[in-house]
Amino acid sequence: MTGELIPLMTDFARWLPADYWDLSIPVYLFFAAVAGGAYLTGASACYIRSRRESGPCCLESEIARWGFMTAVASAAIAGLAVLSHLAVISRAVLFPIYLTNFSSWITIGTWILVLLAVFSVICLLLQLFGEDAAADSGASLWPRVLFAKIGILGLADSLVDAVRPPMAVFAGLHLFGSILALATIYTGFELAIVETVPLWNMSVVLPMAFLTSGIAAGVGATLAITMLFEREVGPVFGGYAIIVALFSGLSLVFITYGWQEIATSDAPAAAASHAELTSGALYVGVWLVALGFILSIVAGLVVGIAALTDRLSERAERLGGPALIGSFGLLFVSALILRVLLLLAAEQNPVVVAL
Amino acid sequence: MEDPWMFYFDPNRCIGCHACSIACKQRHDRDPDADDWRTVTHLSRGEYPEFEQLPVSMSCMHCHDAPCETVCPPNAITKREEDGIVTVDRDRCIGCHYCAWACPFGAPTYGDEGLMSKCNMCLGQGPGSGHDQPPKERPEDGGLQPACESSCVGDAIKAGPRSEVLDHASEKAAVRFENDAYGGRVVVEPVDEDAELAAAVRENNTDQAADWLNG
Ligand code: SF4
Ligand code: SF4
Repeated sequence: MTGELIPLMTDFARWLPADYWDLSIPVYLFFAAVAGGAYLTGASACYIRSRRESGPCCLESEIARWGFMTAVASAAIAGLAVLSHLAVISRAVLFPIYLTNFSSWITIGTWILVLLAVFSVICLLLQLFGEDAAADSGASLWPRVLFAKIGILGLADSLVDAVRPPMAVFAGLHLFGSILALATIYTGFELAIVETVPLWNMSVVLPMAFLTSGIAAGVGATLAITMLFEREVGPVFGGYAIIVALFSGLSLVFITYGWQEIATSDAPAAAASHAELTSGALYVGVWLVALGFILSIVAGLVVGIAALTDRLSERAERLGGPALIGSFGLLFVSALILRVLLLLAAEQNPVVVAL
Repeated sequence: MEDPWMFYFDPNRCIGCHACSIACKQRHDRDPDADDWRTVTHLSRGEYPEFEQLPVSMSCMHCHDAPCETVCPPNAITKREEDGIVTVDRDRCIGCHYCAWACPFGAPTYGDEGLMSKCNMCLGQGPGSGHDQPPKERPEDGGLQPACESSCVGDAIKAGPRSEVLDHASEKAAVRFENDAYGGRVVVEPVDEDAELAAAVRENNTDQAADWLNG
């Protein structure tokens, strides 16, 4: 009789489809990174505006406000998603008291997400209210209408003007906020440190894929929302479209590298994950992810370069906007599906028993 | 930690009767349909008449490096200094399930309330009861013998300080443990036939031999 090594891949060792982590987790991981990308869009638009010394009434202001708004909304969705998964929400809400293990990426991530949300709210309020905003126009100013309706717009404007920081503090605020936005790479580390799951346990590739795809989705979403109201595809849109294309390209490089690692790994759990990703419904998801990233690279580069260099014909300009909105919309969905796939195809390294 | 408590398992002596997992449930007064803290899995291969089966009894191994403790955000999990037993403070647990992903043995379980519970080497009785208990004592010193160990009809399970467990183990099992088999988290006897095969593979000096010896 010949002995064999038998992997213990039984019900308890095989975790997914699992009730341990449901779909709220990929939603959380995705929107936290999108908040980072959207914040970077807002902060960079503020910076570009200050360099140009143009008045408040410009495209950059619109991009900045939509960017901070998207960041606030995304951080809120991420927070609600993760809270919905927990058994004792009250303890998580009291995170400064309860989450004390700073070697856990959930603890580190909670602080990053909460601080990013706070910075995004501050930046948004500074863009929405005050003397400059009152003299401005644009669809992104819709909260002012709400405030006016309930009769507190004047109060909000004067409060914001009273506390508006000097330029140096403002720059520091954006700098620190941008560092927090980049720190949303933690969403990748949350999975990458799980040594028992080879699909996740890639300490550089997975965090980088999460960061770059999160930034691409966040910038793309802000751009798409802004373009819904500002159809003219000019150099500013062009520059941002190229950035989305570049980050989508980087994401695709990291994803492809990770895919190769899994496809060529000897670990039984890696093989199981690869088999799941190349069959059935998950295979469709893989193609959707690839399509979303590739389309945004093509649309971002073609329309972006033409717009940046002012070479868009009138007809191309008419098509350019919808092309960017469509491809960045698909990119957003693809980046979310990427995280869903990573959860659904996760397999734990089996305990190996000699038989 | 000088001599942390740990588990020993001998698959050659296990008859797959599930007495250990049932005794565990009874000791800790857990629902019959709750997830097991100690599981017995029947590995099988081949078809009749060449059919073979090997029962494997597993629980939390109270790992020396406790990956669950490292990832637990509220520090609900503790690798105790005094006896090396890994306990959970359910008054801190937020039910994030991160420990389940980090654990190499799939040991953490979650009841209807969503809080983590797992084997506490019978430091106390019931989920979370091991937390803040005085140091574990041997049965001969008045300590509670783990229910799985005392109920095992084949003496396949042993729990105790590492030095005692290694004294109890065969030399081969001890060498495998020192060679980091199962990450140095549990002492497991090699299956009888495997010892011969492992020796043969070792003579060929292949990479597979190294894998084999490392468990
Ligand atoms: S077996 Fe799992 S639950 Fe037990 S100490 Fe190790 S990692 Fe933690
Ligand atoms: S489920 Fe509880 S014990 Fe496990 S990591 Fe989360 S907080 Fe810690």
